[in-house]
Amino acid sequence: MLEISFAKPSLPTSGALAVLATEEGLAATLAELDRATEGVASRAAAAAAFKGRKGQSASILAPAGTGLARLVLIGLGKAAELTPLGVEEAGGGAAAALLHDEAAAVDARAAALGQAGESGAVRAALGAVLRAYRFDKYRTKEKPEDKPKLARLTVMADDHAAAKAAWPAAKAVAEGVFLARDLASEPANVLTPAAMAERCVALRELGLEVEVFGPKEMKKLGFGALLGVAQGSANEPRLVVMEWRGSAGAKGGRKGAKQAKASKPLAFIGKGVTFDSGGISIKPAAGMEEMKWDMAGAGAVIGLMAALAGRKAKVDAVGLVGLVENMPSGTAQRPGDVVTTASGQTVEVLNTDAEGRLVLADVMWYCKQRFDPAFMIDLATLTGAIIISLGHEHAGLFANDEALAQAILAAGKATGETAWRMPLGEAYDKMLKSDIADMKNVGGRPGGAITAAQFLQRFVDGCAWAHLDIAGTAWTTKDKPTVPKGATGFGVRLLDAMVAEQHEKAAG
Amino acid sequence: MIAVRFRRRLPEKGALAVLADPDAARSLRLPGFRGEAEEAYSHHGADGRRVIGSGLGSNPTPKRVREAAGRAVALAHGERRLALDARSLPAALAAEAAVGAALRAWRYSRAPAPREEPPEHLPPQIERLDVVVADRREAGAVWDKLRPGVAGTLYARELVTEPANRLTPRTFAARLGKLKRHGIAVEVLKPKALREAGFGALLGVARGSAEPPCVVVLRWKGKFDVPPVAFVGKGITFDTGGLSLKPAQGMWEMRADMAGAAACAGAMLALALRRSPAPAVAVLGLAENAIGAEAQRPGDVVSTVVGTTVEVVDTDAEGRLVLADCLAWTLRRFSPRAVIDVATLTGAIVTALGHHRAGLFSTDAALAAQIAAAGEAVDEPVWPMPLSEGYAEALKSPIADLRNCSPERRQPDACHAAAFLKHFVGAARWAHLDIAGVETREEDEPLGPRGATGFGARLLDRLVSLRFETEER
Repeated sequence: MLEISFAKPSLPTSGALAVLATEEGLAATLAELDRATEGVASRAAAAAAFKGRKGQSASILAPAGTGLARLVLIGLGKAAELTPLGVEEAGGGAAAALLHDEAAAVDARAAALGQAGESGAVRAALGAVLRAYRFDKYRTKEKPEDKPKLARLTVMADDHAAAKAAWPAAKAVAEGVFLARDLASEPANVLTPAAMAERCVALRELGLEVEVFGPKEMKKLGFGALLGVAQGSANEPRLVVMEWRGSAGAKGGRKGAKQAKASKPLAFIGKGVTFDSGGISIKPAAGMEEMKWDMAGAGAVIGLMAALAGRKAKVDAVGLVGLVENMPSGTAQRPGDVVTTASGQTVEVLNTDAEGRLVLADVMWYCKQRFDPAFMIDLATLTGAIIISLGHEHAGLFANDEALAQAILAAGKATGETAWRMPLGEAYDKMLKSDIADMKNVGGRPGGAITAAQFLQRFVDGCAWAHLDIAGTAWTTKDKPTVPKGATGFGVRLLDAMVAEQHEKAAG
Repeated sequence: MIAVRFRRRLPEKGALAVLADPDAARSLRLPGFRGEAEEAYSHHGADGRRVIGSGLGSNPTPKRVREAAGRAVALAHGERRLALDARSLPAALAAEAAVGAALRAWRYSRAPAPREEPPEHLPPQIERLDVVVADRREAGAVWDKLRPGVAGTLYARELVTEPANRLTPRTFAARLGKLKRHGIAVEVLKPKALREAGFGALLGVARGSAEPPCVVVLRWKGKFDVPPVAFVGKGITFDTGGLSLKPAQGMWEMRADMAGAAACAGAMLALALRRSPAPAVAVLGLAENAIGAEAQRPGDVVSTVVGTTVEVVDTDAEGRLVLADCLAWTLRRFSPRAVIDVATLTGAIVTALGHHRAGLFSTDAALAAQIAAAGEAVDEPVWPMPLSEGYAEALKSPIADLRNCSPERRQPDACHAAAFLKHFVGAARWAHLDIAGVETREEDEPLGPRGATGFGARLLDRLVSLRFETEER
């Protein structure tokens, strides 16, 4: 990860410098830079028509009068419209412009946010870190000069001391995002269910309790739906349960506080199909390679748990991921098979490629029975229909609880991992009626993402619940301000922010 | 529409249907009938008279009452007269029962070859409905307010059901001309006028067809001296897809691709029938999207009413081209208080929302909320969909101001289509209803037989009464 330090604002004498500027503050910023650069800054800005608009940048090589290798101007937009997310995006823009400089600094004075508990410097640093992510484990022949060099970034701001103190928490979240991105980027021959479970076990060093269940244990728990999906693969399935008990620490600190009743944990459940060939209902060859990231929901839950533990969040949370591989073979589940879920409800599997909901059904039911959580949020690359519905702009949000839905929508706006509410209703639920079992696992093309959510709702057992269909947002084919092309880690920041805003502020 | 009468006593002849909650059901003593919602029961009594029980459940909502009445009508199949016993309901809900019954009892009236005797597979229809209610005057007064919406819906259904060889842009316009008798002003812009006004996108769609296109403008004057509320309807009388031809399977359904225009016309009829004080205008773009030597090609560039150029990368994304011209022209000509377009626009909205809700896209939160409320109130539910900036990216053309859709597979085309339309509405108060998927029913349902639904007519009528029947701008 890009190494971040914070410092008092000054003009560096070497390396690269990015200067964040608002539209209103641009003239003053340029005047200051002009004094050091013999007027080059203003002339370059004028030549590039740089006005400080959001998303704008202008790069000046080796500006006169300084020892700088590069000077980059990054627009923040209008000062009055400046948001923490906007600053992150500017930080990401700076990182993208500075990727080929070994050491660089960002002048983030113009990004001061003036809100209690919000540091523009931290947000700029977070944006830069997130953008500088790269998965290059398997590039063995890349020439050194082609690799991005940026390793250290100094963020300069007047509140540098406060920013330094706040950084570890933000860094922990970024590490959670990176973990989620790493997992989604790993190919399926490397990241089998067992290998993915091992990655979870490694998180014990952060203070998470991690339990791993194999097929035998799951059989005892009655996970007929999950095991049905897994039965075609040579790679055994796993269920991983991660627990973070962070609220006790907070209470223990208060002198004389009574031993509070163990609070209901927040529960996060992820779909972890490490490769989805579709099974006997096999997918077309074109694009099938994308199915290595059909575990992105589980990846996000794992990243989120790492983030909560890493920043010692003052909440109790559990993360459960169902890890399976969906393959066609002589032992594979057939279209038409009927499986019995952990809840006892039977499902007629009409399409073996609608497997994610089968995995989630068992894991969600188990989560509710074992933890009786305050709420359950599941993340899953569940349907192609959600891509036809919302594209890559928003994740689909389905919820049976208004407050939970609003909290997720708000956190999405704050982090840029936006969700869009989609409907549930009896009319859609009826589409799951089976001729021979309690339900079938597909409801047809119309409203395909909705019927998938209706299916899941049959396994929440009265719990407050939200479902995020992230099939369109888990991967990006284009660079975005704080997300390079590839795995996005979508969900980690969204849910981390939701937990912080809804469940830690009140407690603190 | 069936004739509805409200009366205090049960008639002696014809079939009898009792709308019953669980309490009332017990005293009915129909074997097995419990009066639960969605439950309906029919048998013949000792006197040969058909007796129907239709369950309301406890504390029935207006929707529940409408559906119970609809179920009763479905079970009265083959009867000419039906009495609905609604004495357990307050007058306002009894009027809702009439709404449900009238919606369910509708049948397409224009059999291609009128015969003296109805064919055997068409049993007689209910001609008369008696709703039995304690306060018949009050029920009748409520019904008078609801009946126009039903009439508008059934008018729309008739139009949507018409096959495309009978309903061409010209014959559609001719039928709309008859709305004059209700006090609606009708103006038809023919190809020459359209060319002069710069409707390049609409004319491009129509080029492949032997049937000339037209734009029909329906105006209801109302009482208030304010700009009108405007409805813009997509009226593709048949959509082959053009050179980007649709597959043969299911292509016959494309005769319903004018359902948006039909819904707008139905709403105008409703406003006129109930003498709404709100001025309203409907602008309906009528064209056939066919294949021919003159047909528009994928890659053609057309120019719209406002000069914006559009690269037509897919000739089957034609509805938005027609609407673009109609929306822009409507705003110029009428400066409306609000403009709502209704269109069977995309297959993507069917994938997104299925057959139970229409997609609602709007730049105005208040208008969107009113539309959603109106939809819920009249069993035409909608769901808000996004108009986020990011969707506009897919519409960038290398050679024109816009392209009409993304050429890639698996795209959120309903969102792209809405983003496309947004280019043509400027700062106007605007909402777009994508009604693909809800314009027809695949099976009989409590509020209508299989076929055209008329979706949108009652919604727009209710929207006007909720939002626009005041003189505030």
